[in-house]
Amino acid sequence: MKKNTLAKQIIFYVALVAIWQIVSMTNIWPNNLFPSPYEVAEDLVYTASDGSLFFGIATSLLRLIVGLTIAIVGGMLLGIFMARVEIVNQTIGSLVLGLQSIPSVAWVPLAILWFGLTDGGIIFVTTIGSMFAVTIATYTGVKNINPHYIEAAKNMGAKGTQLATYVLIPAAFPYLISGFKQGWAFAWRGVIGAELLFSFLGLGFLLNVGRQLNDISQVFAIMLVIMMVGIAIDGIIFKRIENKVMSRWGLR
Amino acid sequence: MTKLEAKNIVKYFKHDSHRLKALGGVNLQIEDGEFVCLVGPSGCGKSTFLRIVAGLEIPDEGEILFDGKPVTTTGPERIMVFQEGALFPWLKVQDNVEFGLKMAGIPKEERTEISKRYLDMMQLTKFADSYTYQLSTGMKQRVAIARALVMDPDVLLMDEPFAALDAQTRDLLLVEMQLIWEKTKKTILFVTHNVTEATVLGTKVAVFSNRPSMIKKIISVNYKRPRLVEDQNLFPLQQEILSELRPEVKKS
Ligand SMILES: Nc1ncnc2c1ncn2[C@@H]1O[C@H](COP(=O)(O)OP(=O)(O)O)[C@@H](O)[C@H]1O
Ligand SMILES: [Mg+2]
Repeated sequence: MKKNTLAKQIIFYVALVAIWQIVSMTNIWPNNLFPSPYEVAEDLVYTASDGSLFFGIATSLLRLIVGLTIAIVGGMLLGIFMARVEIVNQTIGSLVLGLQSIPSVAWVPLAILWFGLTDGGIIFVTTIGSMFAVTIATYTGVKNINPHYIEAAKNMGAKGTQLATYVLIPAAFPYLISGFKQGWAFAWRGVIGAELLFSFLGLGFLLNVGRQLNDISQVFAIMLVIMMVGIAIDGIIFKRIENKVMSRWGLR
Repeated sequence: MTKLEAKNIVKYFKHDSHRLKALGGVNLQIEDGEFVCLVGPSGCGKSTFLRIVAGLEIPDEGEILFDGKPVTTTGPERIMVFQEGALFPWLKVQDNVEFGLKMAGIPKEERTEISKRYLDMMQLTKFADSYTYQLSTGMKQRVAIARALVMDPDVLLMDEPFAALDAQTRDLLLVEMQLIWEKTKKTILFVTHNVTEATVLGTKVAVFSNRPSMIKKIISVNYKRPRLVEDQNLFPLQQEILSELRPEVKKS
């Protein structure tokens, strides 16, 4: 990021918090509906100091990692099969497009019936909500591989799993990475949504507790944390992988 | 001993409304260790013929015999050097060169030893750790040739590998190619649209007719090597080939 951009962003956020503080001081909205930044910060410090915030973050992230890993592995396998075997594409391919359009929280009732109020249920929602984005990106990526790469590899003796591991996946990586990013975004929504509805741990749960206790600063605080974890994962993990891949391919 | 035999190869392509007869019965017999250059008007089917020999395309009629046995699939005994190199952008130069050896299950130390030899031969040692986008077109073609040679194929199939090179680089590679051929005694099929290139490299030059193509004439080139582009001795042969080609190019 350019220094200039960073400076602009800092100024923007400082201004945003200042405006927030001013609006909350005017008492347009009652204090129990619109907390001041100070109150939110206080709440953050409080939930952080008793450890419940970090425990919540860790719980949500762990569920995210398990669910997303299954989604990425399964999504890639399915995507490769769809791209390479026409009959799979014609049949399962159409189903995938349909499943992809179901919002992840719509899987919650099914998850509760199948898994009960367990971690398994939450991971199920996370996985199923993000897998098909990975599948579609993998399919598109493999379909767009320069056919000469595949021919050259086969000519040099690559086939089956070897072809998939050493050629299809790396050659489709510029597409895969955008699929992973999309999958991660869906997975994060899925985890929080599911936790909100049926969990006793995690950030989604803390958010729900805030609502039940009418603790508006906690609601604000947890939402802030959910956003910041999202920004951090995007910036630390995915941006990094993306930059590395792009520069290695000479695309940047 | 006959290494390769093309028997009445016919190939059609579907074009929206009609069938295009690209190859109209190609017959060609190539002895072990011959360096055969294929010339012909653009679009006559030279690449298609090479791909059929490589087993990357199936002819509609006729067959290719390799060591007397019909070719049914692609494989590392007939290695293709693609027009644009088709190097893998996700691998370093050395890993590109070792790709086929890795597919064959050869252990890392042995692979390194072999690739070192060919990287050295193609003057690529300095670039072993580079990615392909960091290389000039000439360097890329050297990598493509090294990648083919490490497979120690019986037959090298080269599809206009020098077409995109500047004159100096090409002239250098024309000399190197002759040295490689003299050293390795590989059977080489080399497609070019450049008549000078064909007479400098080939022990034989096969002239394709226009579509539906057949081999119109085979001309032997018996001058001593290394031959250079400016070799006066080759002029009469070049004139002869051009006079065979000219009516075909007009027809196309
Ligand atoms: N996959 C394909 N589908 C349709 N037509 C093709 C295909 N490959 C080649 N052709 C056509 O076959 C003819 C011969 O092509 P090609 O072998 O590439 O010629 P050359 O290498 O001699 O220039 C051309 O007219 C080309 O358009
Ligand atoms: Mg061609």
